[in-house]
Amino acid sequence: MKEELPGKVLPSTPIDRLRLYAVFFFFALGFVYVSLGLGIRQLVESGKLKEVSESQSRRIVILPPARGRIYDRNGEILVDNRARWSVKADLAALQKEFRTEYLKLLAAEKAREATQINREALQETAKKNVLEAWLSKVWFVIDETNKSVKSGRKPTKVPAITSPNDRHVDLEALRKHLRERRPLPFTLVPDLAFPGTGQALSPQEGMKAVARFIEQFPVDGPIRLESDIIRTYPHGTLAAHVLGYVKDSAELPPNVDDLADTKMDSLQKLHYTGKKGAAGIEETQDELLRGNSGWELWTKTSAGYNQSRLQISEPRQGSSAKLSLDWRIQAAAESALSKIRDTQATVLPGAAIMMDVNTGEILALASQPTFDPNRLADHVSYAYYDEIEKSGGWMNRSIQGLYAPGSTFKIITAVAGMRNKIIDWDDILECGPSFRVGNRDFPEHEPNGYGQVDVEKMLSISCNVWNYQVGIRTGVDNLAAEARRFGLNAPLLKTMGEINGDFKESTALPSPADHGLVVPDQVYKTRIGQGRWTDGDTANLAIGQGYLLTTPLHMACVAASVARAETRTTPYIIHDPKRDGIHQGSQPIGLTGPQMSAMRAGLESCVEGGTAKLGKIPGLPYAAKTGTAEYFKDGKKAHLAWMIGYAPADKPAVAFCVLVEGQLDTSTWGGKTAGPVAREMILAWADTLAKEAPKAVSEEPGR
Amino acid sequence: MEQNRRGAQASYVALTIFIAVWIFMPSAVRRLNREAFTEFQAPAMHLVSKSRDLARFWELKSRSSEDMAAAGRDLARVNAALELKLADFEDVRRENKRLRKIDSYTVPADYMSVVARVASRDSSSWWNRIVIRKGRNDGIRPGAPVVFGNSVVGRVTAVHLTTSEVDLVTSPGFRCTAFLEGDEQNRIVLVNGLAGNSLRAPQARISVIPVDYDERVGQVSKVYTTGMGGVFPSHLILGTVDLESQATKPGVSFKEGRLNPVRDLYNLQEVSVLVPLHQNPGEALLDQFQ
Amino acid sequence: MGWAWLILLLATYPWLLGADLATDMLAGVGAIIFISGACIIAPCRRLRPIQAVPFAACIGFLFEARRPIPDGALAITLVAASIFLTANKPLLRNTPRLLRAAIITNTLACIAWSIAVTIALDTSQGARPATPWVQFILQVSLATILGAAAYLPISLVQNFAMDRIGIPPAADTP
Repeated sequence: MKEELPGKVLPSTPIDRLRLYAVFFFFALGFVYVSLGLGIRQLVESGKLKEVSESQSRRIVILPPARGRIYDRNGEILVDNRARWSVKADLAALQKEFRTEYLKLLAAEKAREATQINREALQETAKKNVLEAWLSKVWFVIDETNKSVKSGRKPTKVPAITSPNDRHVDLEALRKHLRERRPLPFTLVPDLAFPGTGQALSPQEGMKAVARFIEQFPVDGPIRLESDIIRTYPHGTLAAHVLGYVKDSAELPPNVDDLADTKMDSLQKLHYTGKKGAAGIEETQDELLRGNSGWELWTKTSAGYNQSRLQISEPRQGSSAKLSLDWRIQAAAESALSKIRDTQATVLPGAAIMMDVNTGEILALASQPTFDPNRLADHVSYAYYDEIEKSGGWMNRSIQGLYAPGSTFKIITAVAGMRNKIIDWDDILECGPSFRVGNRDFPEHEPNGYGQVDVEKMLSISCNVWNYQVGIRTGVDNLAAEARRFGLNAPLLKTMGEINGDFKESTALPSPADHGLVVPDQVYKTRIGQGRWTDGDTANLAIGQGYLLTTPLHMACVAASVARAETRTTPYIIHDPKRDGIHQGSQPIGLTGPQMSAMRAGLESCVEGGTAKLGKIPGLPYAAKTGTAEYFKDGKKAHLAWMIGYAPADKPAVAFCVLVEGQLDTSTWGGKTAGPVAREMILAWADTLAKEAPKAVSEEPGR
Repeated sequence: MEQNRRGAQASYVALTIFIAVWIFMPSAVRRLNREAFTEFQAPAMHLVSKSRDLARFWELKSRSSEDMAAAGRDLARVNAALELKLADFEDVRRENKRLRKIDSYTVPADYMSVVARVASRDSSSWWNRIVIRKGRNDGIRPGAPVVFGNSVVGRVTAVHLTTSEVDLVTSPGFRCTAFLEGDEQNRIVLVNGLAGNSLRAPQARISVIPVDYDERVGQVSKVYTTGMGGVFPSHLILGTVDLESQATKPGVSFKEGRLNPVRDLYNLQEVSVLVPLHQNPGEALLDQFQ
Repeated sequence: MGWAWLILLLATYPWLLGADLATDMLAGVGAIIFISGACIIAPCRRLRPIQAVPFAACIGFLFEARRPIPDGALAITLVAASIFLTANKPLLRNTPRLLRAAIITNTLACIAWSIAVTIALDTSQGARPATPWVQFILQVSLATILGAAAYLPISLVQNFAMDRIGIPPAADTP
């Protein structure tokens, strides 16, 4: 087939040779160019190029840390992390089903001879139908009501799958998902333990739902189970205002940027969503609780998937915080508060505080209405946000609510009177049914008057006329000065970050009231443009009404201070067994022995036979002062019920303050409304003491 | 030559047609086909297994009567001890019944126990299963748990007339919830079969172990079923935890570990299938999947 | 003559059962004794395509029946192999070539079902083996060795059976 070629291969003529050399030359030139280029890239620019290639082929994955726990003073877990199990649908694996459903819908549409077929809408409906069918299967398995419970000998058949009407796939969420996160699985049930959003299942029931899905739902198929970690509040609404809640945050926790040998900025980071505290201790102790995040350095494929891991730094869980609260007292306070309801059976807004008299540590800090932080742990739904907003549940009334203290202020009026030598402990004043100041009669709350009243009797029965007289004689300046001496104008719970020493200072709880506190005097009234100070104003101030505004926490501190015969108490929300009992700015109360005894006797007899007698506890005498302040709500007169005090009477250990906002009627009264709450708190405290007592004895046998 | 080439062409056309027919064949036909081939093999499985039993029988028969007498004596002792225990259980049962009545407690699941001989075992990197010599005729239903003593063997995946296939704990199709010994809060963890590595003992994976769970030093922690999922009775042993051979991904929010099955799953001669008396929703769903 | 392949299948089945028993014994180490590929070589040499195809399909289905392999994955592979081999009889001209065919077919068939089952597993949530590639290579190499080892005894039995049924010997008997 092949013929022999002539022997010569090289060109025979000089011209041919010249051509050949020219070709050689150009090739050589090209070769030199290429080698030079390669050389430059390899030797000169290599560093830069390596960086570029690394930044294109590597990726940092941030590993979020688990937040620290929050305990009460006895080590009871108040806030923890739990595994959250979610059910997701793999959209890619469902393509075929989508298509089948779409064709079915299309055929139906054509059979109807519809003039215009919106194919896009049909596609969407098809997807929704398929996902809803799967969702109903998931529900079918996890729903407790489907369980066949009757005990029989024969295998019973479960009824056919029915699609409950209220289990729908949110079309908006599906659209958003398809638009933004199409390659990722679509979430069908965000939290198996609480499947219907907001459905309050007990933890046990929730776990059962999870277990049922894991064990009964087919492993194969497009429905997947995923798990992550979420904040949980085992006691539900307990101390919700103190604990706060968490919200999404794109902010990177610390420790991410210390990747020593890699330039973080040039690397692609996956979008990161962590959690940060949004209220309460979760917010103020965020730095302590949130922990250090870890990271993984990955190479990625050209398609963008992670390929292999080069380096890892593991995340570290946040430290835990130990609160001064005692959950049993807190629970008692909250349950007592929630029992106070108006005629429509809505819970009346209120607050209750109990604190250790000596250390100032808060044992209970309750506020109603409240919210369930568990329902805010994943994301805050608008509906629930509005619900809380409408009920006024966001406000922590015990530290943010500003109220006139009413008759509880009479303690301070009495102290001011005695310290300014206006009156002594055994002086008796004649108190009629009313007292005339200027041209106005200031009334007593007892129509007949109380007759002869001394300090002790005044505190017991809360005589107004005594206070008008003493107040006016003491003068507004002295009264205001006394109130300031007790710290009614000083913000509380502000500088409390004394954990570990290296921890930076922060507020103990977010946004306690500080700007709104008012201890009125002549200057104040002029400043707000209400004219000149009158004796009437002084009389009002003497019984804790008028311009005076304070918080329940302040009044609890007043009670604690009086119990110690001092003026100030610094409240703490973080537990520290080494508290020294020294309170910032506190000084001796400045009363003589008999004067102080008369005060104590008056507060004690207030419980024994006075205005607080409804809250009396047999065998456990305690001291209290009630108050019923008037305020206007929506233009109508309503009452604030107050009660402050300390227990036990002879050897004060705890101080308390209870406040309840009456609603649009005047049926709320200090002792009657607030008394039972105080009583429950004291009983709970005595109970914890009784439980700890045997332990304490056995622990210190030698002392 | 020409004829050969045409023949070859024709056969490739035939192949294409065969594949096309297979792909478009209704799934029912395919299932029927699979079922037919399984049933075809079933008698052979039975035969082999029974001849094995026979061999074992003859092996035992060759034992001396002294051995038998000794074994009988031992058994009598064990029996006496068990008899005593049984009396205790009767009390406990009565107490339990009374408490359930007070608590209006719903009985979680009732089982009918079917004892079955193991016919054959089949394990690879992709599946670990055994075939047992009981099937639909004996009332076995798919999804039923399979146990040996107080330990979990696996779950029934497919039921035929006289045989059933059981996915072992270590098979990828296996999934259940568990409690870890030493976790006081009883938080549930996930157990997933992790098909064995060839030429090595198969294992399963335990995931979603809370970060603060620590293996008790020097002790082997057991893994128990929760009894919450409505499939497995509670407190059966799945195996033991092995946190040390923590594989590919260290816990971000959770730890991960390995489950070593408590028994040598591949030397079992007999297992019992706990057929639930009441169909659970999962089983109803399984009916629809098939 | 149309049912010759069925008789041949019955003659081959004990070998498959034997392989299952061996698998049973090796269950502790998780190895599968796979010889289905080697079973179709001798019949392909002597049967007509119309008979070889159902024979190969049945061999495939028998292996698939009790295992979570996607329906037909192995059967189709073996059918394709049988069609190729019956159309190219020269490839099976002598014993070394037959052996070569057995090894290649067995290995390819093992690769086919492994890949099929891996894909099927991927869509489920089951855990994957820690080192899938190592397992895959181990299993496939085992299949290669078995293809060589099992071919000769199986072909002896099959040839004997075909002689008894009366299937004519191959045109170019070595």
